Amino acid sequence: MSNGKKFGMVIDQERCIGCEACSIACKIENTTFDYWIKVETLGGATKDTPGGNFPNLTMDFLPKLCNHCESPPCVDSCPEDALQKRDDGIVILNPESCTGCQSCLTACPYNIIVFDNGTNLAGKCNFCVHRVDQGLEPFCVICCEGQAIHFGDLNDSNNSVSKSVSEKNSFQLKPEEGTNPKVYYIPPLPKKRL
Amino acid sequence: MTERENIKLIRTVCPAHCGIDGCGIIAHLKGDKIVKLEPADFPDEKDRRICLRGLTSLDITYHPDRIQYPMKRVGERGEGKFERISWEEAYDLIVSKFKIITDKYGWKSIGWVLGGPGAGTTKFGAYLRLASLTQSTRVSAWGYGDAGLPCGSRIILGHQFPYLYLHGEFWQRKYPELLVIWGTNPAESMPLQNMRKVLDAKEYGTQVIVIDPRFTVTASKADEYIGLKPATDSALALGIMNVIFHNNLHNRDFILEHTNGPYLVRTDNGKMLRGKEVEAQKADAYMIWHEPSNSHKTLSRTNVKEANLTGTYNINGIECKTVLQLLMDLAYDYTPVKTEKITGVDKELITKLAIRIGSSKKINFLTHMGFTRTYHGDISLRGVISVAAITGNVTTSVSSGHIPGILNWNPFLKAIPDKPSFHRMGILNLYDAVISGNPYPIKAVWFAFINFLNQCANSNKIIEKFYPSLEFIVQTELFMTPSARYADLLLPICSFLEFSDFIAQPYPYAQLQQKVIEPLYESKSDVTIVAELAQRLGYGEYFKGGEEGLIDIIMKTRSFEGTSIEKLKSQAYKLPALPEGANFPMTFKTPSGKIELYAEQLVEDGEALPVYLPPIEAPITSAEMKYPLTLVNGHSRFRTHSMFANVKSLLNLNPEPIVDINPIDAEKRNISNDDIVTVFNKRGRTTLRARITEGVRPGVVDITEGWWIEQFREGSLNHLTHDIINPVQDKVYEPNMHMNDVAVEIIKSEGAKK
Repeated sequence: MSNGKKFGMVIDQERCIGCEACSIACKIENTTFDYWIKVETLGGATKDTPGGNFPNLTMDFLPKLCNHCESPPCVDSCPEDALQKRDDGIVILNPESCTGCQSCLTACPYNIIVFDNGTNLAGKCNFCVHRVDQGLEPFCVICCEGQAIHFGDLNDSNNSVSKSVSEKNSFQLKPEEGTNPKVYYIPPLPKKRL
Repeated sequence: MTERENIKLIRTVCPAHCGIDGCGIIAHLKGDKIVKLEPADFPDEKDRRICLRGLTSLDITYHPDRIQYPMKRVGERGEGKFERISWEEAYDLIVSKFKIITDKYGWKSIGWVLGGPGAGTTKFGAYLRLASLTQSTRVSAWGYGDAGLPCGSRIILGHQFPYLYLHGEFWQRKYPELLVIWGTNPAESMPLQNMRKVLDAKEYGTQVIVIDPRFTVTASKADEYIGLKPATDSALALGIMNVIFHNNLHNRDFILEHTNGPYLVRTDNGKMLRGKEVEAQKADAYMIWHEPSNSHKTLSRTNVKEANLTGTYNINGIECKTVLQLLMDLAYDYTPVKTEKITGVDKELITKLAIRIGSSKKINFLTHMGFTRTYHGDISLRGVISVAAITGNVTTSVSSGHIPGILNWNPFLKAIPDKPSFHRMGILNLYDAVISGNPYPIKAVWFAFINFLNQCANSNKIIEKFYPSLEFIVQTELFMTPSARYADLLLPICSFLEFSDFIAQPYPYAQLQQKVIEPLYESKSDVTIVAELAQRLGYGEYFKGGEEGLIDIIMKTRSFEGTSIEKLKSQAYKLPALPEGANFPMTFKTPSGKIELYAEQLVEDGEALPVYLPPIEAPITSAEMKYPLTLVNGHSRFRTHSMFANVKSLLNLNPEPIVDINPIDAEKRNISNDDIVTVFNKRGRTTLRARITEGVRPGVVDITEGWWIEQFREGSLNHLTHDIINPVQDKVYEPNMHMNDVAVEIIKSEGAKK
């Protein structure tokens, strides 16, 4: 089913305005009980506040979601095989097989898997496989106000996602974990001060 | 409309009051239920858009609290006690009440208070038409925040809006070397039409400056942030001009050609020197000092480039100065040191900014309403435009790109060609008309698409004096809003997915807000309500064809000749592009036909130049006053004004009103993060949670507008704001609400539950 594809995502922090349309879009599209995408503010102590002292301030945003790791610890941790990495690299969680043991929550170094006490099920971003399998982009991508989120085949060196990864100073979260995430970030542009 | 898997896809538009964003959306219809919304395609892929609010629109359409049928008040006003009646009974009630009131006071005493129709057109036009036919009063809502900018723009440019002049190229994606975002936060208030382009501009290489008392999300993207004190924008503009003039960085050719800079002004009375005063042939002509002949001359198209831009001249015993000389004299007083003292912006930074503005080849200024919501906000805008004008950065002709979609309201105002249209009144003037009968009494009001009590200034005055003076209040509403509780008659309206309207947004497109489902419950669209009422008042013939009939009327203008309702059902219409090489001059409808750096009409008011005048209330000069903090009202991405405030999926992320306060001010008052505090002044008080943040200047506190009164622990934002009228704005256009020019104090609320 993969046709040699390896799907990944690039999030451009310069274009992220922290609006959380991705969080809401995802929650609606996947009817989740908790957010599968969470937007972190990098700056002050609380959400949507800057760091520094007025007027010398900085604020950036970091939308976090399942990293669809090349070596996903959650998959290894799941005793029921409810978590699987597809051939195209997308890590999916099958709720039918999930027994609510929460091993994956502990295993994930990114603390991004959520748990619904009501249904006793774990949940996480699955790159909108139901859309991707129809040739569509994940819903958060098309709903992103800043057009900061890009999705595509990392094996296709010609597409914008692969190019961004190789050319734009991209980084992954917690590389020291050795999980090799397929969600990449591009840092904000340096400021051109007066 | 296309089909897939028994799902019908219908293209429509979210017309929320962000206005210019006008997001095209696809509604997925399964049976008679909308199951999903997603962003619609646009001819240009870069324009496909939706925002976090638009995404949750179904939560409004299918909200359990929707008003479902007409209701008549049975309790006291404000109590919220109503009983169900039929539409027939509702119309009978309106007609009989209107009869009693108009018999006694005339139709003028009926006021149609039309708030923000968002991007909607015919729902607005329908009311304008009925108000005109009945010769009643249309109460304009520009004055609840959006009149300051038009006042300033009308004075200096002769136009309602400055946008095309200041950032038309930006809208056309022709990005400048420097983008100055002044007093606006598009990241939250206009994320798609404006902010997305700011991000594109940065990618293109544009340097971005943000000037704002709050470190907003937009400011976080700036290359340089200028955090000035609220209501000091015109001082900053003068400080910038000071440096530009001192360094001879102004654009002489542009000033000569496009502004009234070279015109001679009498120093004895401040009036323009006219031909008749120096025995020139044309009695009313403006005069210049002609350099080659070293004499005064009547201004002409050919000699203007030979005029002296500066200097003092004695003409037949009358001392005169050029306009630019007067502006320079004023600006020379605003040294960087003095400007720092007023604005709180570092003098070195002011100098660097001014040099950058003076030496950039092309600058766009991106502004909107925010910074003009101060007592002298109209002058603030003139200050910004003056900076743009003296550096040659006002666009004077459109050389390519697409024409803007011009709406023609005349058919609505002149349904009967020779009959005059409605009487017009500003919303701040309405207070006095209702309470004291000045300039004439308004006895009944009809509120449409406005949450008046929640969003207008000085809530206690509205509750204690305004409402009790009214004989009849009708409101069309989706929900039991704070204002709806005070209505005598509540009429249920449709959400935008239940009726059609024409949307002339976003530039450069026109779109159709297409009805997706039938009106839910007993709700009707505003157009239908107006048409059915008009029928009973004897004007039914002017509303034939319902919504589509009115859409036909409003589409009959040159801008939309290339499209039709049918075509708009499947795709947005891109407005015609100007022919390559065509150059269309943009006119200035000012008395001189030029950009007026000097406004002769305001000489008596002392505002002929873009002077800095201190705010009416913001305590920016002294910390020793009773109310030492300046309150501003930011806009939140979670609401469009008071819309979406009751949407659960948004409340999940942003559950309650908060006041932002700087750590320095919080510490002085022993306030910690998340404490419950009371914000108060002589007009009222409100109790809410505090958030300590460096994101507001010391001395400034921010409560984002739009939260409903019942969402506060006590009072509300507008219990603190004032309805003071600026007489100059009243004279020029309509007085504005100055919600960013308010003095308050804050104390920790003892004993309040967290």
